[in-house]
Amino acid sequence: MGFGKFLSIPEYDITIVTHRDIFQNTALESSRFAEEYEKLSAVINIDRQDMEKFGITDNDPVVVRNNFGKIIVLAQGSGYEEPHPGVAYMLNSPWSNALVSNETGGSGVPSFKSIKAVISKAKDEPVTTFRP
Amino acid sequence: MNEKYYVCTGCALLCDDIEIECDGYRISGVNSACRKGVARMKGCQDPLACSISGQKADIDAAIKEAAEILTNADNPLIFGLGNSTIEAQKKAIEVARRVHAYIDDTSSFCQGPVIEAILNGQIRSCTLDEVRHQADVIIYWGADPANSHPRHLSKYSYFPRGKERQRGWEEDRTAIAIDVRHSDTAEICKDHFYQIPPQADRELIDALTSALSGKVPKVSFGMESKKILELASILKKAQFGTIFVGLGLVYSLSDMEPLIKLMDKLNEVSNFHLVPMVGQYNMRGADQPMFNETGYINRVHFDTDPTGADVTRHGPECSAVELLRSGEVDAALVIGSDPMGSLPRSIAEHLLHIPVINIDPCKTQTSRNAAVTIPCALGGVESGGSAIRMDGVQVELPVILKSDRLSDMEIFDRILEVL
Amino acid sequence: MTGAMEIYQLLPKTNCKECGRSTCMAFAAALLSRDAVVDDCPILKEEKYRDNYENLTKIVSPVGNASETGMIVHEELCTGCGNCVVACPVNVAEDPYGAGAGKTPTNDKVILRVEDGIVRISNVEDCRRFGENKILCSGCIVTCPTKAIEFI
Repeated sequence: MGFGKFLSIPEYDITIVTHRDIFQNTALESSRFAEEYEKLSAVINIDRQDMEKFGITDNDPVVVRNNFGKIIVLAQGSGYEEPHPGVAYMLNSPWSNALVSNETGGSGVPSFKSIKAVISKAKDEPVTTFRP
Repeated sequence: MNEKYYVCTGCALLCDDIEIECDGYRISGVNSACRKGVARMKGCQDPLACSISGQKADIDAAIKEAAEILTNADNPLIFGLGNSTIEAQKKAIEVARRVHAYIDDTSSFCQGPVIEAILNGQIRSCTLDEVRHQADVIIYWGADPANSHPRHLSKYSYFPRGKERQRGWEEDRTAIAIDVRHSDTAEICKDHFYQIPPQADRELIDALTSALSGKVPKVSFGMESKKILELASILKKAQFGTIFVGLGLVYSLSDMEPLIKLMDKLNEVSNFHLVPMVGQYNMRGADQPMFNETGYINRVHFDTDPTGADVTRHGPECSAVELLRSGEVDAALVIGSDPMGSLPRSIAEHLLHIPVINIDPCKTQTSRNAAVTIPCALGGVESGGSAIRMDGVQVELPVILKSDRLSDMEIFDRILEVL
Repeated sequence: MTGAMEIYQLLPKTNCKECGRSTCMAFAAALLSRDAVVDDCPILKEEKYRDNYENLTKIVSPVGNASETGMIVHEELCTGCGNCVVACPVNVAEDPYGAGAGKTPTNDKVILRVEDGIVRISNVEDCRRFGENKILCSGCIVTCPTKAIEFI
């Protein structure tokens, strides 16, 4: 333990795969500024064993960041039976897009679906909002 | 029952069997559309106001201001268009020509490469109606229609009875999901779900191509040769096969060549078609008039050469993403799209530094910082026109409710008048 | 789908018999088959079980929502995809060129139809799980991507 309190909160590498969800899409059609859309979007689904390793439990706020941006979202266990260590899932949204690299190799297509980032437990920081 | 059916513009399936109940001024009931379609047709809670520099403005002043921004810019960009009718898209091309703008639509970073390969005759495609009547092997690759196109399986690809598929899905059809995650669609495909690691699509495509050529397929991830051969044998036996390509597959390929090779191989040994899982209701439409007029589906610059003559340029450097990344554009007209929310923040940020004209029925992340906002009628509800379904079939959109808001097409018309 | 074990995990596990069952596991099974209601357990009403109580009332929908065949639609899970509408053998038989062909139902004889984005039940007496010649049909259950349909 000793030095633990002098060290910063541990960070872990993670690859985020984004996908779509009809309930979140429905919320978007109704209002992209409403609480419902934020509630469904500002979430990262993590492998259960990874959660243990990261020292986080369901609905803990986590910092997810890389060179392109930083967001605070809620962590949730992924619910998949097959383990997927090192891979986390997020819905396609302004939250995931805040982390997408601006490197495109000149192709005109960003890497929306495969995002490298580091994750750590958040300290008293509020969940990122895109509401006016 | 209802004598009139309407079209849902919630996605590029353009479901054309929607029943509507109206209580005079608003839609009170929507039958047979999915949850997402109903939300779209009933309209959003934050309608866009007409404004100039954040101040309320009348529509004439806003259109004049928009025309001025486009005229004064050296390198304006017109972008979006996936939620506009074909008629509006044609007008947008006219505006782009007039002000020597870059023009690009959302297919540029979605299904563009697939649509281009189909329009150029490199990949064989088919209609959704053919799928319903004939398809016996259906593959959802990097696609999760249960979430993105909810009625895909029930209206066309898996569950309905068709002319040559009379006995129902259990006996007549095989649905296969290939994906990096166990999606809701994969859940329905049960034993025919093939999970692959992120970015491994190319490897599986190559392995399948070898398997279909009678070689032993090998991949570096944990999928056994036996399993790949099993899949190849299902594909080989298909009477009418269709691959539905989702963004998961499109994003993991740097070019279409492996997919074209697989399709060629499949059509040597079997009978296969490919259909892009287009998101926005008329993204495929946006590509068609542009292709007809310029030979390119998107990413076009109506430039002038040193002598002042018009030249049409095309390439990734003309894409919305590269233009915003490089900061090349100095004004943007964004219609029916929300790049501040849907593009990487690190790229879309440039829009905060240039005058933006935003045309949309609803407030968006992009409209919040726009110099000019012009509300438009909700396509397929308050304004009609035509659109192209994900499979290339043109669908007419009847008007459901009259509205005071101008249609996309009328707004472009008014901008052209001022120009 | 919710199982008895999942329900059991949320119970106090005291085997106090207050509910009239011999064990908490038996009570879980009774909840699952809707022979009992969550309120039959007095201990669950204690403050420390509040979250469990709320979760249980959510996962064990009251029997009032079920149709005569025992069919329950969990509306909050339904996406309105219509897979069940098209797959239901009664819908196919009654409306082959509408519901059976993937389109909006064209008559009133169908059992399942989508209204306002959510599946609605009518004519339940025609469901294959009902009546004298009933069979264990599961057309609407296995085709649902979100497990929104349940028979109790």
